[in-house]
Amino acid sequence: MATNAVNTTNNFSETWLSLRFELLKHLKRRRLAILVVLATILPLLPLIRTPDTALGFAGNSLGFMTVLIVVSAAMFAGDAVCGEFEKKTSLLLFPTPQNRASIFAGKYLAALACTFLVISLWYLVLTLETGALYGWREMPEDMWKSFLTALIFSTAAVGVAFLVSSILKRSISATILVFLILMMIMPVAVMIMTLLESEPWFVVTYSANLITTVLGTTSSLPMGPHGDVVQQFTPTFGRGVVVMVTYAVVCVAAGMAIAVRKED
Amino acid sequence: MEYAIRTENLTKSYGKTFKALDGVSLQIKRGEVVGYVGPNGAGKTTTIKILTGLVRPTSGHAYVNGTDVAAKPKDALRSIGALIEVPGVYDYLTPHETLTYFGRVYGMRRDMIDRRIKETLELVRLPDWEHKKTGAFSTGMLRRLAIAKAILHRPDILILDEPVLGLDPKGIMEIREMIRQFRSEGMTVFLSSHLLSEVAEVCDSVVFLDKGKVVSTDSVEGIGQRMDHGVAAVRFLRPLSPQDIERLRSIDLIRSVDVKNGTARLHYDGKPESSVQILKILVSLNLDVVSYAAEGVGLEEYYVSVMSDEKGVN
Repeated sequence: MATNAVNTTNNFSETWLSLRFELLKHLKRRRLAILVVLATILPLLPLIRTPDTALGFAGNSLGFMTVLIVVSAAMFAGDAVCGEFEKKTSLLLFPTPQNRASIFAGKYLAALACTFLVISLWYLVLTLETGALYGWREMPEDMWKSFLTALIFSTAAVGVAFLVSSILKRSISATILVFLILMMIMPVAVMIMTLLESEPWFVVTYSANLITTVLGTTSSLPMGPHGDVVQQFTPTFGRGVVVMVTYAVVCVAAGMAIAVRKED
Repeated sequence: MEYAIRTENLTKSYGKTFKALDGVSLQIKRGEVVGYVGPNGAGKTTTIKILTGLVRPTSGHAYVNGTDVAAKPKDALRSIGALIEVPGVYDYLTPHETLTYFGRVYGMRRDMIDRRIKETLELVRLPDWEHKKTGAFSTGMLRRLAIAKAILHRPDILILDEPVLGLDPKGIMEIREMIRQFRSEGMTVFLSSHLLSEVAEVCDSVVFLDKGKVVSTDSVEGIGQRMDHGVAAVRFLRPLSPQDIERLRSIDLIRSVDVKNGTARLHYDGKPESSVQILKILVSLNLDVVSYAAEGVGLEEYYVSVMSDEKGVN
């Protein structure tokens, strides 16, 4: 009996194949559709009460960007690895002539592509709104830098979700833990260190503040019964980017190493 | 000789104390249909997971068409189709979408993928479900879809792990018929099951596994001969008279005779030649034999006797 299987695939084409299959799955599960709708509608919320300046408007809108990225990372990458083992689709997917690392690389890239898409949509809507409300000349000139920072932060956030997914066994646990890490544990750590007047430069969510601070917005933290103001630190662009890229590289590499060795 | 499947002293340990596999060596020729039988927890699925690259052995080697699965998994898995345990499906996808992806994984051309999807879904009796989401499928349909995925690329070797688990009698018959068809097409089939009747129906030979060790290997025919324990059940046209029974007892080859409900059970030495000779004598005595059958111990009894043997053959 002659098999129809032929050896035409390399690691790159396997990754591409896995990426396309993952995108199809995200589309069919309607997760992508849900986030696309959110990324289109939520930037309209600041219209309820518009600030005087375009910078203020953009700053208000982009205040939600970190949340959107975390939600997107958790939804697209939270079950990327553990979901296959939990639902036993690993028994269908893995006994095939594919490099496992290629499969997981495709999964990471697909989650990243979906996150990039929702971020891009948000910025597109925000740009159109800002231009329409305040005029194109008032557009914050570092909007592109903010957009770039959001994309870089998303590589780290999706990387964290991917790592958590490769460590845990259940999709729901992985998704919740991703939220806890990026929405509670890290921000609380940043707050504590800020109160101790120590810059939390190594925490990735602190670096994510660049999404708004690159526009030129500043903030301070009122604390205590008399509303004493604690000066917040502002991440520098270069170091923030390095921290985010480091998180992405380390988390993806560690997640990949664990996922490839994972057994039923 | 290059075997379709060969394992050498395959061992899989979990922790320091538990050995799921303990030196399993198998040799399966091309075109053979081999049953892999053992109680739950014997190590059948672990063996299959090693053969399909899902699990790495602690020691030993597994070869598929001469290729070491652990060393070159992609090469080894290209010629394998596998149904392992009860695989999950992407319930938001249709069989067409799922099988198209796997067709691409096997490097098949688009037109070939479309043709094979039609052929395999026809074979597993799901042609009308090609574009329906699998979330609505029954257990039997999901199992048949998993088989369709396993044979999509026309593998040389088909590995089936408990393929009839959870199926109704009709589903079991359909799977059995499929396996016979695969055999007629020259496919090597390695079938793990804890159902002896399943294995006896479709396999050429059987490997018995217990506590991670191979305890017996034999052809189905050989097992049948071994199960012959020296009793021939004979029915006669008329009830036997005391004189007839006495005539039976006087035959040298017959050790004793029991008569119950019109059937005489003749005890002899169990040799096939003796059985033939006894039948000839009965005919020559004009006892009007209606039926004559060598009784064996049940396959289950054989299984129990093999499994209770502490000594492995590896």
